Amino acid sequence: MGRIVGIDLGTTNSLVAYIDAQTGEPKCIPGPYGITLCPSVVSLDPDGNIVVGEPARKRLLTQPERTIYSVKRLMGRGLADISEELKLFPFRVDAASKNVIRVQLGEKSFTPPEVSSFILRELKNWAEAYFGEPVDRAVVTVPAYFNDAQRQATKDAGKLAGLEVLRLVNEPTAASLAYGLHEKRRGLVAVYDLGGGTFDISLLKLISTGEGDIYQVLSTNGDTHLGGDDIDNLLQAFVHEQILQGNEIDFSPHGEIAQELRKELIALKHKLSERESATLKFPLPNGETFESEFTRGMLDALIRPVIARTMTPVKRALADAQLKPEQMDEIVLVGGTTRTPLIRFTVQDFFGRAPHTELNPDEVVALGAAVQANILDRGVSNMLLLDVTPLSLGIETYGGAVGKIIPRNSPIPASAQDMYTTGVDNQTGIEIHVLQGERELAKDCRSLARFALKVPPAPAGLPRIEVKFLIDASGILQVAAKDVRTGELQQIEVRPSYGLNDAEIERMLEESIEYAEQDFAERQVIEARTEAESILAATAKALAGEPARAIPAGERSKIDATVAALKEAAAGQDYKLVRRRIDELNQATMHLAELVMNTAISTALKGKSVGEV
Amino acid sequence: MTALTKTTTLATDYFSVFELPRKLWLEMSVVEQKFLQLSWKLHPDNFVNATEEEQELSLKRSSELNDAYRTLKDPVARVEYLLAIEGERKEGEKKQQAPPELLEEVFELNESLDELREAKSAGADIAALKSRLQAAERNFGEKLGEVDAQMQLTAKDWDAALDNGADDAARKKIMARLNGHLNRRSYIRNLVMNVAKELEEA
Repeated sequence: MGRIVGIDLGTTNSLVAYIDAQTGEPKCIPGPYGITLCPSVVSLDPDGNIVVGEPARKRLLTQPERTIYSVKRLMGRGLADISEELKLFPFRVDAASKNVIRVQLGEKSFTPPEVSSFILRELKNWAEAYFGEPVDRAVVTVPAYFNDAQRQATKDAGKLAGLEVLRLVNEPTAASLAYGLHEKRRGLVAVYDLGGGTFDISLLKLISTGEGDIYQVLSTNGDTHLGGDDIDNLLQAFVHEQILQGNEIDFSPHGEIAQELRKELIALKHKLSERESATLKFPLPNGETFESEFTRGMLDALIRPVIARTMTPVKRALADAQLKPEQMDEIVLVGGTTRTPLIRFTVQDFFGRAPHTELNPDEVVALGAAVQANILDRGVSNMLLLDVTPLSLGIETYGGAVGKIIPRNSPIPASAQDMYTTGVDNQTGIEIHVLQGERELAKDCRSLARFALKVPPAPAGLPRIEVKFLIDASGILQVAAKDVRTGELQQIEVRPSYGLNDAEIERMLEESIEYAEQDFAERQVIEARTEAESILAATAKALAGEPARAIPAGERSKIDATVAALKEAAAGQDYKLVRRRIDELNQATMHLAELVMNTAISTALKGKSVGEV
Repeated sequence: MTALTKTTTLATDYFSVFELPRKLWLEMSVVEQKFLQLSWKLHPDNFVNATEEEQELSLKRSSELNDAYRTLKDPVARVEYLLAIEGERKEGEKKQQAPPELLEEVFELNESLDELREAKSAGADIAALKSRLQAAERNFGEKLGEVDAQMQLTAKDWDAALDNGADDAARKKIMARLNGHLNRRSYIRNLVMNVAKELEEA
């Protein structure tokens, strides 16, 4: 079995973390640029390669039509749901999309779980390069307010990336794990998590017991379409307006300029979190330069409505847990957007206490995911996480109303039974429509699945089918049905209304091999071969040179034999053998390398005085 | 890892999960403590590396534990559940007829709601209607409080009957009263919710 990691699959950035065996502390793994944040941006090369992260982010400017960001906003959603998103984000949705949206990247189109799987695979590669070992399992975080379809889509993405997703953990809950471990405080904790595209509030009770620490979520609420992206959009609209006042510019044919401006505005937003004013200078396509001074007050005025929108879920979560703001012992801020001073001020004002900011708000979710991954890996632990389902589960009843069967904020796993019978003689099927949401009418709730119960022909009202709904520890629904009279179990395939079915996933898994980078072992072989080639070339060069003449014949034949052995190994697939042969050649050429080095030094020193050396 | 075998079944009903008699007044701190204790034992986290059978069993047991906790924590759901396991309340029973003593007020309320809808679609002034409905909303809100208070009293009678070893007939009588409270409560609650919805949309 390979290693296990915790992954924060974010709207803007994604991270991967693990538990350091020495310290027992969670740690984020840096990527090839030495940075732990992997921009959640994916780009498709003209030659068909997938590019993820920082290089893909750069392509937002140069090849916007082949590049996508904020794909998390599309996870588990239908075409009808995303009309608002399409106004604000440059998603190129494939017009032929059916249940599941497909987005266009250059000449190809992908589903959101596929795009997310590219990001997960990139992080998997980071971790494998870091450990030098394969990674095959992960705990992945999701916004607490994600519905079943969005969770299922995230799990699918993991599968497509070659990861067994052992558990989906809610982001604020993960943050509380990292926080609790770090701060060792107990009591009532509110986690305010404003990320790039989603907002969550979770209220938890941290309890120390004889067996260990329990993290019990009391209630959660949120908005899966509210985040830093919205602030960026408002800022962009505001500045566009300003630019258009002094210039006649049509931005629409200049996708790359709009992206460039967005990048500058995000930088401006970050600057205004640090100081009171900042200047924006931006070259316009008409050759002019737009220059303007912005104050924090201007930014605050823009984002006040966004912050106000976060307070409704906060109040609902408190009401559901029957708590008052002043009862909370600790307030934890999560998500890069919470660096904004106005947010800190508003939260502090509401709860009447200063929020914690000790942990890096960008990393804390991934760190918590690593903590949970470690708990699951060991199978037994002195920490236990008890989470809740964010939305009520219901069944459509007569007249399009919804009968709630599992209320929101129920601890998970949770289950409910419902009994069904027929209305007419010899009816052979009963349609069941499963919904998620708080509204009274089915049309206002989220359709999760529709399925038909099979019923043997009988007089009306006689059949009795017991349907069991179960929400697992990841917040994902399972359904099972039993004919009470015969005791026969019915296999129910819950066909998600807005998700991929098993056949589609299978097909994508096959296709994904085309895009996937080589698996761990393959990459190891390639890396070892590359290293072998360079050491073989260096050895050949040294042997052809002047200093090699000083090598005794016995040593020379030893080197030749080792070279031959390495060449043979490098032709095979055993990367460990290749590495061993490389080490042997290094040993055999130690003397030779010394001679080469000495000659090089004496050549370099020739003609120089001792003083110069 | 705790071995989870088929014999580790949960008790037959939610009260015995927490080793409690079927009384309606619960010491919540005892329930909480027992809930956490059982969670340590049953939660799926402990069975990630176990056999598939054990994993499924843990999922089943821990969901039953959570269902029990969720039901007993809510005083109304607790009464409903008690009546269900005592066989005195059928699954999904919610009588929607207006309680006779409320008939007149309900009639008036429905009239006001109709007037409000009509006035809204005609674009007429609805301020007066709104305040009338708000008064009705308060009135029925108070009635909801009264039902809850009555239910608490009857719940005490139930607990006392259990303590005194009252006979079946006496118990059934108390349960019939509880059933009445529940139906009345659900009826009034629906009314209040409807009025609140109409007012919100107005």
